[in-house]
Amino acid sequence: MYQTNRKYITPEVKMSDLIFDNSSILLLMEHFGLNFIVHDKTVMQLCEENKISVKVFVSFANLYNGFHLSGEENFSNNDVADIITYLKNSHNYYENEKYPEIKNYIQELYLKNTSPEIKLIDKFFSEYFEEVKEHLSYENRIAFPYFNELLRSGHQKKVDGQKNDFSVDEYSEHHTDIESKLNDLKELLLKYVPVQNDRVLRRKIVVSLFELEYDLNVHSTIEETVLMPLIGKLEKSL
Amino acid sequence: MNNRHINIAVLEPSQIIYEGLSNIFLKSGQYFQLLRIDTFDELKKYIEKKKLDVIIINPSQIQNKDKEFIALKNDQTDTCWVALVYTFFNQKMLSLFDKTIHITDTPDSIISLINKLNDSNSPNSSAAGHEQLSDREIEVLKLVTAGLSNKEIADKLFISIHTVISHRKNISQKTGIKSQSGLTIYAILNKIIQIEDFSS
Repeated sequence: MYQTNRKYITPEVKMSDLIFDNSSILLLMEHFGLNFIVHDKTVMQLCEENKISVKVFVSFANLYNGFHLSGEENFSNNDVADIITYLKNSHNYYENEKYPEIKNYIQELYLKNTSPEIKLIDKFFSEYFEEVKEHLSYENRIAFPYFNELLRSGHQKKVDGQKNDFSVDEYSEHHTDIESKLNDLKELLLKYVPVQNDRVLRRKIVVSLFELEYDLNVHSTIEETVLMPLIGKLEKSL
Repeated sequence: MNNRHINIAVLEPSQIIYEGLSNIFLKSGQYFQLLRIDTFDELKKYIEKKKLDVIIINPSQIQNKDKEFIALKNDQTDTCWVALVYTFFNQKMLSLFDKTIHITDTPDSIISLINKLNDSNSPNSSAAGHEQLSDREIEVLKLVTAGLSNKEIADKLFISIHTVISHRKNISQKTGIKSQSGLTIYAILNKIIQIEDFSS
């Protein structure tokens, strides 16, 4: 099953070919803690060297290339650790790199274009960033430790206490919010807020927003269609 | 994301034919999401998970599977089933499909066929026309930016919550903006409310 413009990735593909085809793969590698100097190695070789599940990497890489998961990947409990590594690193990327980058741009924008509208955009973004941080910290503090605990306790009986704090529904509601506000910002900057000497800067902001959105989309797809079902299965088996 | 694009799956064994068809869609200037599927079974699995607007099938792929095909088709009433024909098939086979694309059809006629199918399937999509908000929608928007809940807006305007929700939906569809804070900025930019009204 494949779409038109990008290649479907298999473990035998050379990593460098992947990157040349879609530079976002660099971000994927970073989220897995992989080095960019890939020589002539294949995806499989690099994953094995770095002890990352080939299946997880290839499925995620295909998400970046625009393919849907077929639902037959059959991820196992052994994959959860890799998935969480990926998610944690991408949290770090959002919180410490991408959102601050956009925030800086918006503040720079205000220096060039001191209209009250830009001030409103700045306020909108600051509040939005706070919400995002709250969600990320919720995942880092409550969700991930709970998943790890579930894994560790394996066959043992129950995980006390923490279970009540975590809810799958709340989880996916947060995602919808995060993505829709990001979209609102794009709409406002592209359609409504008048430009005043700020074209170049505004282009940078919008491009950053698209990059962020791209990674966030993959991120929430992974959480909702890969991680949550796995966690659900784990909970049942206890 | 954009909710106007049309999802199309193509079940066609010939690479040449598929590439040609996908090129026609690509050059139409419209956004089509195209997906190639290799077997009828794969299609069945895929369709459970994701809604497809149009499925284009080479009828040879469902030969001797008419029953399965009919069952699947009856299951997916929102989807249009189009036969892609370049060899002879009997009329009985072709009558299983909603429409037919013939190998000699022009690109324009293929695109307009797909558009027509899709319009008739989703009555709402064409109504979303241009971005002008109606007077009533502007009233609702003002109350939204003032932070009123749907229930409060309904009471204030003497309309049902259901109507409020449908106004809000239209507002978001026309402006592209969903969140309350985003709509507030929109309203200020369009002079629907004054920036002073918006104290926080």
